[in-house]
Formats: sequence, structure tokens, C-alpha cells
Amino acid sequence: MRALSQAALILLAALIPAGLTAAFHPQRPPWSEETLLPGEARIQTVLAWGGDVQWIDARSAKDYEAEHVPGAILLNLEDWDQLFPRFLDQWNPEKKAVVYCSSTACELSHEVAERLQKDGISPVYVLKGGWEAWKSRK
Amino acid sequence: MEEPKVISAWRKAAWPDIRKLGRVLVRIALGALFVFAGATKAYDPGAFAIEIQRYQLVPWILCALVSVYLPWLEMLAGVLLFLKRFQRGALLVITLLLLVFTFALASAMFRGLSIDCGCFGKAFTATGTTVPLLRNLVLLVFTGILWMEHR
Repeated sequence: MRALSQAALILLAALIPAGLTAAFHPQRPPWSEETLLPGEARIQTVLAWGGDVQWIDARSAKDYEAEHVPGAILLNLEDWDQLFPRFLDQWNPEKKAVVYCSSTACELSHEVAERLQKDGISPVYVLKGGWEAWKSRK
Repeated sequence: MEEPKVISAWRKAAWPDIRKLGRVLVRIALGALFVFAGATKAYDPGAFAIEIQRYQLVPWILCALVSVYLPWLEMLAGVLLFLKRFQRGALLVITLLLLVFTFALASAMFRGLSIDCGCFGKAFTATGTTVPLLRNLVLLVFTGILWMEHR
């Protein structure tokens, strides 16, 4: 019985720092219920990570050359065999890998993220809204 | 070959102490691990929420709520495991958490999700689900050892 009441007390006590985290932590999660697919992160979340991010551009080489997120590495499934070794040369495991493609409608970023995870790169996130979300960031 | 009497007598006398030492070590390991696991996740709740979501078990809002609450619960229970007064309660919380984690990992494995445990934030990644699942089972044995003490 004592164990139960103590456990209840512990569960309640943890609510205090949790509430403070929810209110003030600079990297607190967004609360909105807008659906995210598994592994997807919002642009605001990724921006809050600051310099801790390695951007990965899953679009075509043509789109990449036209414009890309500063510091992003080109990595798409089309030229995977050539691009992946180049990616590994630049890859810093300390950073969070964030993959993007052109918009919400494209699947490429998810496919690249999945392939990266299979090859042992982790954690990998997918930018919700892709390049469009980056362009319209505040 | 029969053991010399001196040795068997020593063993008999020392056995309770050895068991006691074993339980102390188990307690330290379990408590320290929970404090560490909580701290690595409390550092970046936003990333932890995404790790929870990869399990595809609960809607986003619950992932977000758990991501701010669970790390503190782990740290608190880990610390209180060292305080005699709160040991039972802390042990109960830790046991329940391990059961929940084990269920989540097993269900992810069963559904063939290729995800990371997410147990230690960014401290350990690319761990898959099999090793963490086995580790959880060992930790559950640890809690069993500590429960025996409180019978």
C-alpha cells in the first residue's frame, strides 16, 4: 500500500518540472494537432535546433543547383550510389539529419530518410512541407 | 572433494553480505540508468516527441505531453530509488515504466517498424529495437531482485 501511495506521489511530483518544461523549454515540442507523419519535424522545430542540423536535399541535382538550404548535402535515390559515399565524407554523426524535398506532396524525403536509416544513419528527420516550408519560414 | 570446514563456514557467514552487496549494486545500476536516460531526453523534448511518434502508438498531442513528462518522471524515480523512505514507490514506478517500454518495443518489433529505441535521446542512436528489448528484460529481472528485498 505504501508503495502505491508513494508511486502516486512521484507521478504527481513529476508534473511540476514537466509543466515548466512545457511552458519554458526552448526545445519543447509543438502542441498543434496538425498531423505529422512518423519522423516528420516542423520547420519551427528544426530551426530551434540551430546549428545542430545537417540538411539533406532529396530533390533532383537540377533543383539543388538552382537553390538549396545553406549547407545542405545533395542525396537522392536516382544517383544514390555516387552521392551516398560523398554524403558519408561530409556526414557529422553529432548532427541531426533533416531530409527535405520540394513540398508536402513529395515522397522523396521519406524514401531517402528510410534508406539512410537502413544504412545505419540515425536519427533522421523529414522536414514537413519540404523546400516550400523552408522558403516560407518566418 | 569436500570443502574444508573453514571455507564453508566463511561462505555461510559471508553469503548474506554478498547478497546485500549485490542488491546495492543492482540498485545503483538501475537508479543511475534511469537518471541518465531521463536527463538525455529532458535536454531535447522536441526531438524525443518525434521519437515517440515513430512508434505510431498514440496521437501527436500525447507524444508531445509524454515528451515533457516522462524524462522528469524517470529522473525523479531514479533518484528516489536511493532514498530509503521512497524506495518502494520509486521501484513501483520504474517497474511500471519498464513494462510500458517493453510493450512499446515489442509491438514496434512485431509490426516490423524499423525505428530506434529513442531511450537515451541522442546519447545512443542506431540501436534498433532488439537490443533495447533484451536490455529491458534484464532490467525487469533487476527490479525483481529489488522487490524480493521488500517482501
